[in-house]
Amino acid sequence: MPSPEALLTRELGPDRVLTSPDALLAWECDGFTVHRSRPRAVVLPETTAEVQRIVTLLHGERVPFVPRGAGTCLSGGPTAGPDAVVIDLARMRKVLQVSLVDLFAVVQPGVVNLDLTSAVAAHGLHYAPDPSSQSVCTIGGNLAENAGGPHCFKYGMTREHVLGALVVLPDGSLARLGGPAGARAPHELDLIGLFCGSEGTFGIATEITVRLCRDQQSIRTLLAAFASMRDACRAVSDIVAAGLVPAALEILDQATIRAVEASVYRAGYPADAAAVLLVELDGAADVLAEEAEEVRAIFAGHGALRVEQAQDASERKRLWKGRKGAFGAMGRLNTDLYVLDGVVPRTRLEQALDGIAAIGARHGVLLTNVFHAGDGNLHPNISFDGRDPEQTARTIQAGREILQLCVDLGGSVSGEHGIGSEKIDHIAMMYSPTDLEVMARVRAVFNPDGLCNPGKVLPNRSACAEVAKWPQMTARVLDAEAGRP
Amino acid sequence: MSLAPANVDELGELLRTRPGRLRLCGGGSRQQRLPPRGDALELCCRRLDRIERIDAPDQTCTVEVGVPRAALDEALHRLGLELPCPGGGTLGGLFAADDVGAASWGGPSPRTLLLGLDGLLADGTAFRSGARVVKSVAGFDVHKLLVGSAGRLFVAARLHLRLKPRPRAEAWFRRDDLDGPAAAALFTTLCQQAIPPAAMQLRRTPRGVELRGRLAGRASTVRAAQQAFALREAAADWLDHVAAPTAGECLAGGARPSQAADLLALLPPGSDFVMHGGGRFELDTDGPATSDQLLHRLHALGATACIVHGAPARRGLGTPTDPGAARLAQGLARALDPHGLLV
Ligand SMILES: Cc1cc2nc3c(=O)[nH]c(=O)nc-3n(C[C@H](O)[C@H](O)[C@H](O)COP(=O)(O)OP(=O)(O)OC[C@H]3O[C@@H](n4cnc5c(N)ncnc54)[C@H](O)[C@@H]3O)c2cc1C
Repeated sequence: MPSPEALLTRELGPDRVLTSPDALLAWECDGFTVHRSRPRAVVLPETTAEVQRIVTLLHGERVPFVPRGAGTCLSGGPTAGPDAVVIDLARMRKVLQVSLVDLFAVVQPGVVNLDLTSAVAAHGLHYAPDPSSQSVCTIGGNLAENAGGPHCFKYGMTREHVLGALVVLPDGSLARLGGPAGARAPHELDLIGLFCGSEGTFGIATEITVRLCRDQQSIRTLLAAFASMRDACRAVSDIVAAGLVPAALEILDQATIRAVEASVYRAGYPADAAAVLLVELDGAADVLAEEAEEVRAIFAGHGALRVEQAQDASERKRLWKGRKGAFGAMGRLNTDLYVLDGVVPRTRLEQALDGIAAIGARHGVLLTNVFHAGDGNLHPNISFDGRDPEQTARTIQAGREILQLCVDLGGSVSGEHGIGSEKIDHIAMMYSPTDLEVMARVRAVFNPDGLCNPGKVLPNRSACAEVAKWPQMTARVLDAEAGRP
Repeated sequence: MSLAPANVDELGELLRTRPGRLRLCGGGSRQQRLPPRGDALELCCRRLDRIERIDAPDQTCTVEVGVPRAALDEALHRLGLELPCPGGGTLGGLFAADDVGAASWGGPSPRTLLLGLDGLLADGTAFRSGARVVKSVAGFDVHKLLVGSAGRLFVAARLHLRLKPRPRAEAWFRRDDLDGPAAAALFTTLCQQAIPPAAMQLRRTPRGVELRGRLAGRASTVRAAQQAFALREAAADWLDHVAAPTAGECLAGGARPSQAADLLALLPPGSDFVMHGGGRFELDTDGPATSDQLLHRLHALGATACIVHGAPARRGLGTPTDPGAARLAQGLARALDPHGLLV
């Protein structure tokens, strides 16, 4: 019997089936570098029909498989075990249709988020969800993660912008969920709403229909520096309480500001500020003038040390440069960066940040914070040396405690990065075994054999095996944790 | 016979003691849209009517499913907030039926406003899905299955909802001076705006075609839209549904904004029609033959639709569902309600 690899090569040719250990290195992990594992093979399909043939073949051979976009996920979602084949969708990057009348586009899953906006920009349109990784990450990955981004405060997450998808189910059959006439037909379930955020475990989206948004007439970007994080958080609360709905409300703490200012992402942020708050307003020009004044008054009320307002597009770009490059800048502080993603009610931000600082100090880890303040979506980031098992263990433990804090404050263990393999143990902080069992029943409808992206999202036996694939030290920490009374 | 538990605990107890097949109902206003319930008992959630929490600074709330929409609106308006989607009845009914969708193209709809829920499977097993905060991607979003499920997958007991601040200025408008194609063209144009009307609908009645809606935001944006599109100020007037015909049938569907003109052109003479800004529409027909013909044509157009009023056996019949999606829907029903108790 030919091996699955041989059968795949027969389908796609040798150039699009990678099996040599060196070639597979690039698929060893995603942005969550703690979990590394080299897949058995990587295949590079270009059409829905090819994806269907690959999945049918692997399903028939009982070989697990993992869809992958750009691999920028921060929770281990596209990282495959050594027995699994990665189905890399990066070559499926055609914009198939754009409707300038009904404002939607149909794209292949490998289309890069920002490329879609570039493709429609000349028509005064854009694709609203804007993860900070948008110059690299794909629409398929965004759909699977229900990705967010700074402008999701006003415009909503990926789900709000997805109308439908053509999906290759894990047995190789096709399902068309939703469509341009609406995400849900009146006599059907919201299957695309459910698929969105399923982290590659419900099947592979090969054509995605997304909404396009008309560009706003005008944009105002303001940056305020504060002497304390408390002032910055309270300014956010007041902006929201005033009924203003900025497009984005982002905060960077002092450690992040300093990392940014010392990097190529330097944006001219005041390095002595305890926090900077970036507020972007969009809409009609005359309205923005009024709203910017209101925001400035709120800044002043909280003793802003300095306020800047972008005067043109290049200044706006500069103000955003530091925010968009924050992860990259922090990545320079050590060899590895653990990006956390907890959510708290916006009114508990101050309390959460105090608690996070205490956890960081207790574990002696280098913590920085950059976050979507409007949504209460925190990104505490721990810079660490992944080669040092002891440091890695402290990092993982601090991360775990931070997420528990978010849950204790009434929030969530993930606002946008997903559970993947990273938080497979942490999801039980939010949900009871019954809640997880109900989710497992739903997953089994799509993925009854568990072949599609196994060991992700829900803890189960195979998930334990998955955790064991993490570096030894991490596994030991989790074991010790599990053994605690 | 109708069962009406007084609180969520009683609801769970009632389900655990297995009373057999059940038809869930909120206030009961949309029940006529479902196929007949046969021997199933009616389980009415009207007494689960507590607004458990409104967190004004966070713009979220938790309500029991029997809370009437009007009661929540009243409580929210006092705090300068609103639930920014159309629809009436009880909140459980509104979300489970989702028969109006969004009021504007791309605007908030029940599916976007439902953050999470506390639910019960048909056997009384309690579960939670989603969260109370405005953003969470932890786990699979089982709660999104409530939307449009018409109470046939599980019983929602409590809903966690996202709210929005009430706009500083608003004005309703009406254009009744246009013929069908011109009104449809204006409807499409308004859907394409960077700031579309907060609510809009295209109606056809025996009196003619009219476009109605609500502009919201700042006074200057409202004024600018009124001037740019000659949107004459009018009294607030929103219609969730066309009136159910005494004889004949009623179809509900979904279409793209630019199909408004095609829909108007397809309408049988004398048929009432309303299309909401979010793309949902309703129309009435004189009976099965016309409805079947229309369903066929709507499918050819790329629109979706189904019968929501008519002879019991015809309710729910609609444009064909994708076979893969249909298999998944059946699988979900089997997975969540294996004994088919919720009808
Ligand atoms: C610097 C940086 C900044 C980031 N900022 C943000 C942010 O602001 N907001 C945010 O939400 N995320 C952010 N992320 C995380 C990440 O970029 C997003 O999760 C993104 O959506 C992943 O897209 P991808 O193409 O890289 O997908 P991958 O990482 O390749 O895959 C992600 C998941 O999707 C599945 N998948 C991929 N394609 C498909 C498909 N076609 N069908 C089904 N499943 C599929 C995979 O199996 C995997 O589980 C950031 C990451 C980095 C590195």
